Amino acid sequence: MSQCEVEAATPGFHQLSITIEAAVLRNSSFLKPNPYVELSVDDKSPRKTEIAKSTYQPKWVEKFTILVTPYSQLHFRLLDHSTFRRDALIGEKRINLFQVLSYYNGKLDNVELTLDLMSENKHDAYGPLSKVGELVTLFDGLKIDMNEVIPSNSCEQVRHNQVTSGALTPLGSSNSDSGNNRSILNGGVRARMRLHGSENAAPSVMQPVMHRSSTNILHNPSHTASQPSNNTNNAQIVGLTSPMANGVGNHLATESSSGSTGPPLGQPASAGPSGVPGETENGNQPEEPLPAGWEMRYDVYGRRYYVDHNTRSTSWERPQPLPPGWEVRRDPRGRIYYVDHNTRSTTWQRPNTERLQHFQHWQGERQHVVQQGNQRFLYPQAHGGQAAVAGLSTAVVEEDDALGPLPAGWERRKQPEGRVYYVNHKNRTTQWEDPRTQGQETGMDEPPLPDGWEIRLTEDGVRYFVDHNSRTTTFQDPRPGAPKGPKGVYGVPKAYERSFRWKLSQFRYLCHSNALPSHIKISVTRQTLFEDSYHQIMRLPAYELRRRLYIIFKGEEGLDYGGVSREWFFLLSHEVLNPMYCLFEYANKSNYSLQINPASYVNPDHLQYFKFIGRFIAMALYHGRFIYSGFTMPFYKRMLNKKLIMKDIESIDPEFYNSLVWIKDNNIDDCGLELYYSVDFEILGQVIHHELKDGGDKIRVVEENKEEYMRLMTEWRMTRGIEEQTKAFLEGFNEVVPLEWLKYFDERELELMLCGMQEIDVDDWQRNAIYRHYTRSSKQVLWFWQFVRTTDSEKRARLLQFVTGTCRVPVGGFAELMGSNGPQRFCIEKVGKDTWLPRSHTCFNRLDLPPYKSYDQMVEKLNYAIEETEGFGQE
Amino acid sequence: MAATRRLQKELSDLRASAMKNFTNIQVDEANILTWQGLILPDDPPYNKGAFRIEINFPAEYPFKPPRINFKTKIYHPNIDEKGQVCLAIISAENWKPATKTDQVIQALIALVNDPEPEHPLRADLAEEFLKDRRKFFKNAEEFTKKHAEKRRESASAE
Repeated sequence: MSQCEVEAATPGFHQLSITIEAAVLRNSSFLKPNPYVELSVDDKSPRKTEIAKSTYQPKWVEKFTILVTPYSQLHFRLLDHSTFRRDALIGEKRINLFQVLSYYNGKLDNVELTLDLMSENKHDAYGPLSKVGELVTLFDGLKIDMNEVIPSNSCEQVRHNQVTSGALTPLGSSNSDSGNNRSILNGGVRARMRLHGSENAAPSVMQPVMHRSSTNILHNPSHTASQPSNNTNNAQIVGLTSPMANGVGNHLATESSSGSTGPPLGQPASAGPSGVPGETENGNQPEEPLPAGWEMRYDVYGRRYYVDHNTRSTSWERPQPLPPGWEVRRDPRGRIYYVDHNTRSTTWQRPNTERLQHFQHWQGERQHVVQQGNQRFLYPQAHGGQAAVAGLSTAVVEEDDALGPLPAGWERRKQPEGRVYYVNHKNRTTQWEDPRTQGQETGMDEPPLPDGWEIRLTEDGVRYFVDHNSRTTTFQDPRPGAPKGPKGVYGVPKAYERSFRWKLSQFRYLCHSNALPSHIKISVTRQTLFEDSYHQIMRLPAYELRRRLYIIFKGEEGLDYGGVSREWFFLLSHEVLNPMYCLFEYANKSNYSLQINPASYVNPDHLQYFKFIGRFIAMALYHGRFIYSGFTMPFYKRMLNKKLIMKDIESIDPEFYNSLVWIKDNNIDDCGLELYYSVDFEILGQVIHHELKDGGDKIRVVEENKEEYMRLMTEWRMTRGIEEQTKAFLEGFNEVVPLEWLKYFDERELELMLCGMQEIDVDDWQRNAIYRHYTRSSKQVLWFWQFVRTTDSEKRARLLQFVTGTCRVPVGGFAELMGSNGPQRFCIEKVGKDTWLPRSHTCFNRLDLPPYKSYDQMVEKLNYAIEETEGFGQE
Repeated sequence: MAATRRLQKELSDLRASAMKNFTNIQVDEANILTWQGLILPDDPPYNKGAFRIEINFPAEYPFKPPRINFKTKIYHPNIDEKGQVCLAIISAENWKPATKTDQVIQALIALVNDPEPEHPLRADLAEEFLKDRRKFFKNAEEFTKKHAEKRRESASAE
């Protein structure tokens, strides 16, 4: 912490407004403090906030306007107010305004500074300070011409940091000027610019940081947080804290957290199964020396952790030296990143063996990507065949109708001849359909139902039929000639075939009628495909992305008549998987579907990237191109704004799902579950606690309220850690293609549209199938394969999707099919009675096939199971 | 913390019940997600030693099962060189949130007493166990003598 001494002649005073917002303090004694902050400038005229009552997380939000010079020293002291003794200092921080000013080039406009509050270590007056909490402040309204300010020598370093920026910077750091990124100014001060108007919306990056500090605090009960300045009161305080401070002596020796280098946060990774306990602890393996600048320490519980003084960060994992060809660098804002000169790429995460393995695996796949791309297909596109809406039109005065207001950004208009259409101003599209009813049953040309019958929709919008005469329900349309009806060449009901084709052509028609003239050029280099594409796509207004695409791979001949852009979509969609970006992960090791990685925030610009990927995916749909790998079914449901149900958890976390099902199926009173309305999970070794509702920590789960508990748990499990990313993705998507246009489809059709279909090698499939309670030669098994062979490619893809959760086959064929716990072959199990529908367990690639009595019966039931989505496992 | 209350209850029940074949239970008060203890199998060839195990509970406990690791080396077909053990009661398919840690420990002790050579983690030991029981016992006893912790007779009363 370099100190900038005031040595220049007293320059003029400037006005600066500082808002003292809030603090998070270590929870270290039984009595909660009554904190307030005292702010003084150059040790003069202290100003005080109100006193917050009895809390470790005080909030003040008080604004002070002070007079400062560019060299002023600001002193923040956080004190504990006491009515019967002198107020005790909890922690303090001094900052040199010059450092902050030079960092922001003289302009402090809505800059948030988070200060580590430090306290002298009571037991070791000469020892380092320890961190007792964090104070959040907002600096505003100061603008100084830095050319007129002479820096004092000791501040040179700060300016130097500003200048050094390598040729290679991590993704996006160059263009994200307003970002949510924090940077470390000097020991224990973090700063970032706040966007105007978003003061109250806590940005995503900040939340983990706040959490961090509070867990950190929890884990260090031995700190003398409330060290009184008046010695006569020591006895009382010590008396209060001692029960927690078992073995103070031994941790004090190791405790020396300076600034941000406290012990790592949350639980060590070794608590999970992945840690290899024993080995290192038993000292079986000789340990390599630590890389330069690293140090091993023990936390208060004797757990080892590692301090990286280069980056002022800590980790539970022993650092591995950087692999050959790698280098650590710092970007202009002081953030650490890693350069891989081998591949000329950069990443925010320190590379370790596991990550590099993932990377190699990912690169190995890359060769297959293009090859796979050429094997995907969908129907030849049925063009709408109609020209875009032309002619003059007039806005229609909003009339109230039963459907309620239009979604935001939409307008209803009328053509000169009176036909109504809809304008979406967000992404400049028009359509005939009312966005409020889009994708719902057309119903227009359907024949009437027989007497006593009624059509209803399930919770998920699937149509079923109620026969009031016999008080039964069925998915089977009772009208003659309806879905069951005449079969096409491949034995597929024509009606069904028509429906997916019909939906596709509706969608295509909307795309065509909203196409824009001319084209846009996107010019990329293969080595920097992601960055190049990102910058060009985000630079353009979103609606421009609906122009015809003209993709150029630099240095390669070839005009883009479609082939090049097909390749671009495929390669770039594979690139988002690159583990270096930490944006997506395979769901649950199984079925190669992508889900958002809750740890994506290690990339400070992740939300911008998700927005970009949203735009890109919308472009793929709009331009009718396929992407390499699809998303999980729950993610598609989210895109369709469908409600997520408990069953959706099964595909992404079967263990969790099984436990929920157990709770649902059993009487939970008197079995000692000790559950409350709160829940924990772990991201990057950090445990995050969540109350399912207000005061949930105190509400016990019992038989009577478990329905609500399961509903809240489902909601939480499906969104934990990924809400903001999902929002950013959908926002980007919606800018290019209105989400309403997707409403024709269900989640499975969406996957088919996005990934296309693949010729499936039925021989390979059958060869690698296994059976439970059936044999290879069971009647039903033979029928099953007969069905697979006689049906068409789409139905095959859908059947595969039904059982495995995806319509894609692994690169190595069916032998490499993966389940949630590793390799898992396609399995057919005999379950239930012939009146049941087949069911599937996507995490185990298993089809529960009841012993049907005839081939026709099996075909009928399989068709239903495949077409109708979840919720109706059996009849 | 969500898992904490459940684990505190289980721990105090476990301590109160004073199991005679699971002793010296150590739990760091600050990190209740990790337990250690000694198991004392009744049957030869393991009845001469005490084996230290570590139980790790995930943050999502009891929605996810705990994992068990042997910290003491043991010569056993179902426990590998790293101390990993494959126990049905805590597998993904069988786990129930109502399963208590004492049941898990009893299942573990039962597995140690009665190896299941049909689901081995160490195929070499499983083969020896099936083909030459006497040799297996001799090796396992020697191994126990060499690596296991000493049993104090009083330990069981603890």
